[in-house]
Amino acid sequence: MKLNAFTWIIVTLAVTAWVFILPLEAVATILVLQLVLLLYIKRSKTMLAAIGGLGVFTGMMILLQLLFGSPLDVSLFGGLRMLVMTLAFLCMLATTRIQSIAKALVDRFHLPVEYAFMLTAALRFVPNFLEDSTITLDAQSCRGYSNRGNAIKRLLSYVVVIRPLVMRAVAKSETLALSMELRGFGANTYKNMPKEPFTLVDFVVLAIVIVLSTYPFWKKLIGA
Amino acid sequence: MNSVVSVTDFYFKYLRSDLVLKNINLEIEKGSFTVIIGPSGAGKTTLCKAITGIVPYYTGGDYAGDIKVLGETTKGKKVSDLAMKVGLMLEDYESQLVSLTAGEEVAFSLLNHGFPPEEAEERTRKALEDVGLPGRESYQLDELSGGQRQRLALASLLAVHPEIIVLDEPVSAMDPDGGESLYKLLGKIREEYGTTFIVVEHRVEFVLPYATNLLAIKNGEVAAQGRCEDVIPRVYEDTDLRPLLPDLWQIKCNLEKKTAQKFALWKSEKEAVAELQAKGFGRGVRA
Ligand SMILES: Nc1ncnc2c1ncn2[C@@H]1O[C@H](COP(=O)(O)OP(=O)(O)O)[C@@H](O)[C@H]1O
Ligand SMILES: [Mg+2]
Repeated sequence: MKLNAFTWIIVTLAVTAWVFILPLEAVATILVLQLVLLLYIKRSKTMLAAIGGLGVFTGMMILLQLLFGSPLDVSLFGGLRMLVMTLAFLCMLATTRIQSIAKALVDRFHLPVEYAFMLTAALRFVPNFLEDSTITLDAQSCRGYSNRGNAIKRLLSYVVVIRPLVMRAVAKSETLALSMELRGFGANTYKNMPKEPFTLVDFVVLAIVIVLSTYPFWKKLIGA
Repeated sequence: MNSVVSVTDFYFKYLRSDLVLKNINLEIEKGSFTVIIGPSGAGKTTLCKAITGIVPYYTGGDYAGDIKVLGETTKGKKVSDLAMKVGLMLEDYESQLVSLTAGEEVAFSLLNHGFPPEEAEERTRKALEDVGLPGRESYQLDELSGGQRQRLALASLLAVHPEIIVLDEPVSAMDPDGGESLYKLLGKIREEYGTTFIVVEHRVEFVLPYATNLLAIKNGEVAAQGRCEDVIPRVYEDTDLRPLLPDLWQIKCNLEKKTAQKFALWKSEKEAVAELQAKGFGRGVRA
């Protein structure tokens, strides 16, 4: 079962809205579904680490709210909401290629192609950037850079690493821009990518989204 | 002569620079393999960019003169349309890759230019096969080694079937074996498709077997150009340019001067040894 990127975007947006309109039990159910989905897709160390990290982060947010004097139930529900929202994005990213998301954003949500391209380019250049930072760190270490001393001193001396790093990044982005120009990047880029058709599953999921999103309305109708 | 690139009285300066190219006149013959040599900062990269229309139409700057590619002036052409005829591989080929997977990378130009997806797919398959990466369409870029990424950059040029391919120091970041195998690949492509190659290369020993023409640039001016056998003696006379020649050709020139004989254009040490032995050099000296 593979959902279309458009469906995923809608589901993600819907979930972020639902956490505010649905009752606690429903939000908790979504959380369980999300965890099942994520572990079903990929039961790897990184996935567990990502979920664990989000869990810890949520715990900290709950503590913070308690410190500021919110009642326990409000803090817990607030934390749950945030966790469900972030997990919704994680679900989308874990199931859908970023290229498809970018294409859907351009095709259906009229995102300008430049912004859509930034999504993939960022992902493309992260490994490069990490590699650059080790190279620069090594190079500057040879010239006497060291990260000893107190925090202020370390921060100041880190400038010698940042500067060349930024310069390299700028040079690379100039090359990238030229390359995009050479290769005809523009309005056609997303238009001509292979189409990704909707399936029955997409329609079913979208229907469920509509029903759940109008939940307050149904409740009133049934209650009346 | 059937020339695919012709530059006439071309001058150029960047927005903030002195004249970088001066009085450039040159013709590139169809199907030739031209090697551009010259000291650092001589203007080699700028010349490559001029041939592909980036200079001056993308970078800005002042220019005079004209450049014709396949008989048409580069003036007023979109850089990306020109790139369908003249492929350019930039010095920093890593940053030239724009996609997340190998297949998308190769298909990128084709899809942007409105090729139907089926044809783009078929050309992608063929181009990856040609550069020795068959069936790697779905590979992520970071699953490929440095040398493989470079061949991927080449594949994305090949896929658009350009008549001319310009490469700016393509093997600068490679070990000798990698460099040798890349040039072997270029030689094969040239034989197969009749593509014209223009290559900036510091380590000329790599291109010995393939080079047909040589273009030496110094301080933004053409110092020498023509077929290798004609140009080498002139380049050898210029003490700035001499070290840029491969050792083998330096030896050849030196021997020619000392012995007043002519030798063939040696493409490998084996050829040199064979000719020298045939002409009686090294007799009595044990190999
Ligand atoms: N974008 C630019 N703006 C201003 N000057 C430049 C620019 N790019 C290159 N130059 C200058 O043009 C000259 C030739 O550069 P380049 O063509 O890169 O030489 P080469 O490739 O032979 O090393 C150099 O003096 C360089 O400083
Ligand atoms: Mg250069």
